[in-house]
Amino acid sequence: MNSSPTIAVTGLHRGENPQPGSAVIRSLRRVYPELRIIGLCYDTLESGLYSEEDAPDAAFTLPYPSAGLEAFWDRLDAIREVERFDVLIPCLDAEMAPLVESPEKLRERGISACLPSWKAFEARDKSKLPDLCERTHCRTPQTVAVNDVSSLHQAAAGFGGSVFVKGRYYEAQLTSTPAARESAYWHMLETWGAPVLVQERIEGEEYNVIGIGDGRGHILGSCAIRKMLRTSNGKGFGGMVVRDPQLDAVAQSLIAELRWNGPFELEFVKPDGPKAEYCLIEINPRFPAWCDFPSTLNCNLPAAAVELALGWQPREPLRHATPGKFFIRHAIDMTGDIRDLAALTTTGQLIRQSEEPRAKGREPQTRSSASHVA
Amino acid sequence: MNLASPPILQRQQSGQPQSAAVSAEDTSFSFRTTTWQADGFGFDATSGEFFTASPTALVVMQCLAAKMSTVQILDRLTSTFDVPRRTAERDLESFLAELTTLGLQD
Repeated sequence: MNSSPTIAVTGLHRGENPQPGSAVIRSLRRVYPELRIIGLCYDTLESGLYSEEDAPDAAFTLPYPSAGLEAFWDRLDAIREVERFDVLIPCLDAEMAPLVESPEKLRERGISACLPSWKAFEARDKSKLPDLCERTHCRTPQTVAVNDVSSLHQAAAGFGGSVFVKGRYYEAQLTSTPAARESAYWHMLETWGAPVLVQERIEGEEYNVIGIGDGRGHILGSCAIRKMLRTSNGKGFGGMVVRDPQLDAVAQSLIAELRWNGPFELEFVKPDGPKAEYCLIEINPRFPAWCDFPSTLNCNLPAAAVELALGWQPREPLRHATPGKFFIRHAIDMTGDIRDLAALTTTGQLIRQSEEPRAKGREPQTRSSASHVA
Repeated sequence: MNLASPPILQRQQSGQPQSAAVSAEDTSFSFRTTTWQADGFGFDATSGEFFTASPTALVVMQCLAAKMSTVQILDRLTSTFDVPRRTAERDLESFLAELTTLGLQD
């Protein structure tokens, strides 16, 4: 392993549905400004590639998952001929399963990663949440996996008609009519494959918990928020730190049962009313896009994940974020250069070179223009 | 005086502008899981919700936090505000019901 490790991060697009990669990079640079970070992207227009603050030092294209696993590993090997990265932080749901299923393929290449066991990964699958929740005495909306339209309508009728239609890995649509339900079903099937999930609708405030599990049932650090702002498709666009012992206990119980290793995000809904209980909606097996927010409050979970992956002594204990601190997303326009886009498009890689060592605290970077590497 | 009429105690929704701050002589205090500031802004650290309250609502919650009886609260209200005791009694009952609805009181 390199004395100064190189970290590879995926999911660099901060679009309408922001991916977590750029937030992970931002967090890492808060405390390890000297780290070399490379971005692995599926599209040359992933916005994080062109950011002045969050851009990786180098970027490489990956084949889409539809190209198959062999193409993925071949490309990873080719990238490592140029950049021998030490740690991989996968940030997209769809790429998690093959990595979790075959961690030895990473190990034999000398790549470290904080990944859950296959058993834990499977147990938190959307279609298996009821079993997990039964074991942990946690509430969860009724969810049915369907593979045809007839079952879809049947399940929806059983839940009162207004239901969430969800993709296997990602995305959910609230539907109230049979036509909308059917349209959502075909969209989810085409995009994410079978099965499609039909979930009972529970109205209430949404709460999310981000954290890192140590693989032995403990949470190394966590931060809980209430979603303050939501996009039209329900993504959090603002969140307020909360500290509720009841929520902490539910999160601890789930992570202990799973013996979760690595980053996670738990999504809950809490119906209105003083006696209401938190209801688990889903467990994401990765960092969410808001993971840099706790890092500003002395709870840098991406940095902790790298330390855990490398077997480093934790830099400092992860603190509980202060309730009342909140984040709000702020979209800005960034300026890109056609030479960067050309390099990435034609060669599949973009190498940037800093002229000065990176200063701690994310000061604006000075970079030379992109160079082609044959 | 009408203790219960909005916006005496109002849950703040995301994106909703704040109502004008109200003045009160007392400093911050905690009532159940919500911390109230003298200007009528309350934040519940367990739920992440925030509220605004009128001066009269603040007085009532301060009294409840101090575990005062209904009679004592009515004494405080009638001595602090220019209001007939019968009106205060009716409004207090209504306000306590509102607190229960919002989950701020059993």
